[in-house]
Amino acid sequence: MSFVSYAMILAGGLGSRLCLLSEKRAKPAVPFGGKYRIIDFTLSNCVNSGIFDVGILTQYRPLSLRDHIGIGRPWDLDRKRGGVELLQPFRGWAETDWYRGTADAIYQNWIRVEEREAEHILVLSGDHVYRMDYRPMIEAHLARGADATVAIAEVPLEEARGFGVVDTDDAGWIRGFLEKPAVPPSGQISMGVYVFRTASLHAVLRADPERETAHDFGKNILPALVRDGRVLGFRHGGYWQDIGTLDSYYRANLQLLRPDPPFPLEDPRWPIFTPSTEFPPARLGARAQVRASIVTHGTIVNGTVERSVLFPGAVVEEGAVVRDSIVMGESWVGQQAELTQVILDKRVHVGPRARIGFGEDLTPNRSCPEHLSSGITIVGKETRIPEGVTIGRNCRISANLIEEDFSRRTIPSGEVMERELNVAH
Amino acid sequence: MTAIPAVLVLVLAGGKSDALHALGRIRTASALPYGGKYRVIDFSLSNCVHSGLARIGILTQYAPLSLQGHIGIGRAWDLDRRDGGVRLLQPYVRQRETNWYRGTADAIVQNRNVIEDAQARHILVLSGDLVYKMDYAELVRFHEERDAALTLVTAHAPTEEPERYGYVHADRSGRVSALEEKPKRAGGRVVSAAIYLFRARELMARLNRDGEGPDLVHHVIQPMIASSARVFAYPHRGYWRDIGTVDSYYESNMDLVRPVPPLNLYDPDWLIYTPSEDRSPAVLGPGAAVTQSLISHGARVEGEVSRSVLFPGVHVGDGARVEDSIVMHDARIAPGARLKRTIVDKRVVIGSGASLGFGEGTPNREFPGDLGTGLCVVGKGSHIPEGVQIGTNTLIEIGVCADDFTSREVPSGSVIRPGGQGRAQPAVRGLSGGVP
Repeated sequence: MSFVSYAMILAGGLGSRLCLLSEKRAKPAVPFGGKYRIIDFTLSNCVNSGIFDVGILTQYRPLSLRDHIGIGRPWDLDRKRGGVELLQPFRGWAETDWYRGTADAIYQNWIRVEEREAEHILVLSGDHVYRMDYRPMIEAHLARGADATVAIAEVPLEEARGFGVVDTDDAGWIRGFLEKPAVPPSGQISMGVYVFRTASLHAVLRADPERETAHDFGKNILPALVRDGRVLGFRHGGYWQDIGTLDSYYRANLQLLRPDPPFPLEDPRWPIFTPSTEFPPARLGARAQVRASIVTHGTIVNGTVERSVLFPGAVVEEGAVVRDSIVMGESWVGQQAELTQVILDKRVHVGPRARIGFGEDLTPNRSCPEHLSSGITIVGKETRIPEGVTIGRNCRISANLIEEDFSRRTIPSGEVMERELNVAH
Repeated sequence: MTAIPAVLVLVLAGGKSDALHALGRIRTASALPYGGKYRVIDFSLSNCVHSGLARIGILTQYAPLSLQGHIGIGRAWDLDRRDGGVRLLQPYVRQRETNWYRGTADAIVQNRNVIEDAQARHILVLSGDLVYKMDYAELVRFHEERDAALTLVTAHAPTEEPERYGYVHADRSGRVSALEEKPKRAGGRVVSAAIYLFRARELMARLNRDGEGPDLVHHVIQPMIASSARVFAYPHRGYWRDIGTVDSYYESNMDLVRPVPPLNLYDPDWLIYTPSEDRSPAVLGPGAAVTQSLISHGARVEGEVSRSVLFPGVHVGDGARVEDSIVMHDARIAPGARLKRTIVDKRVVIGSGASLGFGEGTPNREFPGDLGTGLCVVGKGSHIPEGVQIGTNTLIEIGVCADDFTSREVPSGSVIRPGGQGRAQPAVRGLSGGVP
């Protein structure tokens, strides 16, 4: 029996590298894998690990997340004791303000930790896809008498450059952190999953606000704890995916379609919970051809779908072809439309015979070449693509555009479409 | 102030449907899985909440566990309410007289206190084993406008099967002059939909009379009509199906996979609610070919599926072919197996290369009337061994295992029971033992 029963989930991030997907929602609320939101994985890990007392720290655009979490029913978190609580910044006490970083967010809500008189707490990130039983990690933390324990994933060396690389000794104690090193010494990275001895964390957090730091767990708090205390590394062997960029988001979704997926969504011993939609089962018509794809309730397919993920209520009309794409909830793909490597956000309307992700021209996106260069075209929420329009690769088509916003019939690769603010509609 | 709801809903969901054979023995017809993710009773309950009726009692008796687990506290329908909501009314032991429900009217009489507590002006009596969408609010309006003692809903029956329906005779104003139950000859297609709206006082007065029989139609409704009480007919014009037989259950499911289904489950204003199952999305493999079918969460399809309804968690292996079939929760269809016009109950395992529902159309030797249209029924949890060939009009009982097959060929019209072909009483009967 562990002493750890309270978890705080950091879910306030802006997620700017997810482009349009996180323009109107916090990263943990981004839809994933056909019926989930990214935070479902962390929340389900909590309840499957027996942790039913969870605080979620939100700051950036929390509405979508708040609607999703509600009172926590899908996770059995609508409880009298414990349950789930969204912790949004507030004013009124002298020291409260917008959260200046992840550490500051926890510090401003420290009363939540104090109330629980918890000797240890779990601090998690809400924007990773993984399945993990936190209990063995908690047991190791307690058994070794650590001030903090950091979950470690092993990634390929070249990917480690984007993360905090962990340096451990033979006994498993962490000697140091390298934040986004140019030449990573190893592929051992911090997953953003921590167990803290409350007193040790408090001592460091209390000192942090006065300093000119980023008030960040990875950058400031853990290095300070390594300096002053004992920080244990805990290896997590299973799948773990950071959904930091559009490419990693796209790749993680499409990995689910492999015959032997690295992360099978179906595991009766470790279900991933999410609010249910009230749609009827997926309906495949007489001309439907759906292969190597995920379909969900409310999906209606009369066309061709290959290597794609269709979210609830997505409709693919007759003659339409959807390949290597992600089509979110209630989007509509019209007759004879063609989608290749496209991410459609929710309730996008693609007119008949429109082609998106068309051609071999891989010109990177002109406004964010660093995030949109692998060929993916993304269309924001509720945009209406007119009939017969052709859109190339690496394009970013903003949310809420209407047919009249498209003055050209062809949008070449790398373009950005935004509503011109000086045009009245 | 507590608002007194004008209408109390009583859903009759306690009957045993012998004509459903293996499908109906472990559960009451109202709890039958339907349409890929629903139970039949979801239609009645969803109709209630969409119509603004939220005070509901469900009268159960036969094999209620399945239904009880499904309804729970009524969350799926927003019926977990402080005031009203849904309640399961199972027979219980009393100090003086204790009885199982002897019939539909008796079930209502035994719950007299529930009805009195509700102080409702009208009582809507529904059958939980019907598939239809209907706005009861309009029915209530019709009933009140006519100051009716009883309004009975009429529907258009899909077939002329006089033995299954009651025929309503009404004049042009809708005043009912006769309700002919199960006559020798069909009286057309306009039948009683088994949806009754009573003025509460009228119903209770009739039910409280001594010597009143236990059946709602014979002992309450027909006498009301005979005594010239104000009984009106209210026509329901949409889809309406009674799924009390293997054929009608099958056909109604198949209606959903027609190119233009006569029953629209996708209407956002009238969704059918059901508890969610927390399954992963459906995965269609690289070799999958699925047409004209409904596929639910947790399904995994590698083979071919056409004109079929797949419930949550069904796996269809590589090269398997499922046609014109209904496959319930967590059934496993191994690679190379073939199913045609087959109803597969929950957790059935079909071995690789087995085939079901092919061959000549000899009606079932024991139940020619119930299994004569070429269907094959496989009861819950049965295991069909590899390579076995099973004909049409066959009944594979609940809990059959490989040892129960004495030959690799099961001719059309056969019945296979657990514990050997000759045994009349399948062992699993004991599950519903104690319940008459």
